[in-house]
Amino acid sequence: MPVTDQRPVEQPIGALLGTPLNAVEIDHADIRYRVYAERHLSARELVGRGFRGRESTEVHAVKDVSFDVAVGEALGIVGSNGSGKSTLLRAIAGLQSLESGKIRVRGDVGLLGVGAALKPTLSGFRNVVLGGLAMGLSRAEVDEKMDDIVEFSGLGDAMARPMQTYSSGMRARLTFSIATLRIPDILLIDEALAVGDKEFRERSLQKVREIQATAGTVIMVTHNLNEIRETCSRAVWLDQGVKMADGPTNDVIDQYEDQ
Amino acid sequence: MTDSGTAPVDRLVSMSAHVVARAGADLRDAHESAKLVPYLRELWERRSYIRHVAFNELRSRQITSVLGSFWHLLNPALTIGVYFIIFGVVIKTDRGVDDFLLFLTIGLFVFQFGQKSTIDGSRSIINNKGLIKAVRFPRALLPISSTVTEALASIPTFVVAYIVALVSGTDITWRWLMLPPLLLLMTLFNVGTAMVAARLTTHFADTTQILPFIFRLALYMSGVIFSVDAYVEDNPLANTLFTLNPYYCFITLARWSISAGNLQTDLLVSAFAWSVVSLVGGFLWFRAAEERYARD
Repeated sequence: MPVTDQRPVEQPIGALLGTPLNAVEIDHADIRYRVYAERHLSARELVGRGFRGRESTEVHAVKDVSFDVAVGEALGIVGSNGSGKSTLLRAIAGLQSLESGKIRVRGDVGLLGVGAALKPTLSGFRNVVLGGLAMGLSRAEVDEKMDDIVEFSGLGDAMARPMQTYSSGMRARLTFSIATLRIPDILLIDEALAVGDKEFRERSLQKVREIQATAGTVIMVTHNLNEIRETCSRAVWLDQGVKMADGPTNDVIDQYEDQ
Repeated sequence: MTDSGTAPVDRLVSMSAHVVARAGADLRDAHESAKLVPYLRELWERRSYIRHVAFNELRSRQITSVLGSFWHLLNPALTIGVYFIIFGVVIKTDRGVDDFLLFLTIGLFVFQFGQKSTIDGSRSIINNKGLIKAVRFPRALLPISSTVTEALASIPTFVVAYIVALVSGTDITWRWLMLPPLLLLMTLFNVGTAMVAARLTTHFADTTQILPFIFRLALYMSGVIFSVDAYVEDNPLANTLFTLNPYYCFITLARWSISAGNLQTDLLVSAFAWSVVSLVGGFLWFRAAEERYARD
């Protein structure tokens, strides 16, 4: 397989136009959330505590972060574990509320996380159909794209097996493939490619470039810095919820690695 | 600025259409949930999901049992048999009822239709965590799907109800045609209770454990296995309370449809009102926590 890693990354369309058109505007976002001892409280415990609620600790995950992402831009977010990267993505997707500040988005937003099995007891094929229909595609549209999905995922015969028999890498490949059935205006990728093998990652990154080519916006979080170097023209470095650097990918990653 | 694979001007030309399309949308607050009309449109666009899930579920229920589709008729018949032996023969709660078997059949099936829809709805979010995490869609799709599935799965039980009516020599009248629209109305009511139960379960996981007991209590308070006419006739307060019980309304209206009795308009009004309140209220309350459902 030829090494395509050296291919220069595309500039966002905003930079070419000279008038930046933002897909995402993050304005002094501050996020705190509470972590509970256990997910659900049973009725007995609720009564036992006199309805006072659960024991919890507060996490100040994102601290006064601001930056914009242009339409057609691919932005990478780097940072160590617990730096608030995933929390910020969830907030952009509207799944995590802000303590203060504002996040504005243009168009629809899709968050792609580490591959969960959609329906573990159903086969790969059936999961593609289910995912496609839930996205609002018609049955005919899903059937039409099925061959592409099978090819893109590279799962072959495993598509006929229940998804619960898949390895984490295979799950990730299928979930990403299903996500490509309908690409949102703003695609957020949270380590979704990390567990796939090298070949699949390469194909996924190619997909990300295609998305950009249709002026789609991509924000990705990954610990694989090469992926960000290959795909993103710009990077943001978060450390313990604070924005440390923002700029051209190589500059930011160099700073991050030199810390 | 790094040189791109294609010349910037070419890229600009090839992308301009995409940019115009994407720039058409306005910036909006990421946390402002979808407006009501777009949300309903997104639901409507996904109606084929509901159909797909419902038919697959029905198919899998048949495949897993040896007797196949015959079981779908036998199961409600056996249920009725058990209840009839206990309440009609052993405990004799059939006082004041002409045809206790039919009385029990209709009451039990209508009640169980409501109960199953609500309990399935309570599991609809937690059973689909994987789908919720992987795909963006209006979450109300899940309780709606589970309720529609349950409505279709209940059709054989009502076929059994008609059979019981025929066997026990009940006259066939035009009123028999009123049961399907009544059950359709009840399905709307069930969608609402399924949504309430689905959201409650994300707050308290025990909801699925507690619901069967709540329904067990409701079973005795809805005139399913014994007639409440004696209480209702002389006591205005009891009459009001039963009229306000949606399950009592649906059950009594279904009995009016298949067997006999006068059409009680106050029950009909109550059933309509409950359906609207449940569907609209349940939907709005469910949707108000839309972002909750994607959490771990």
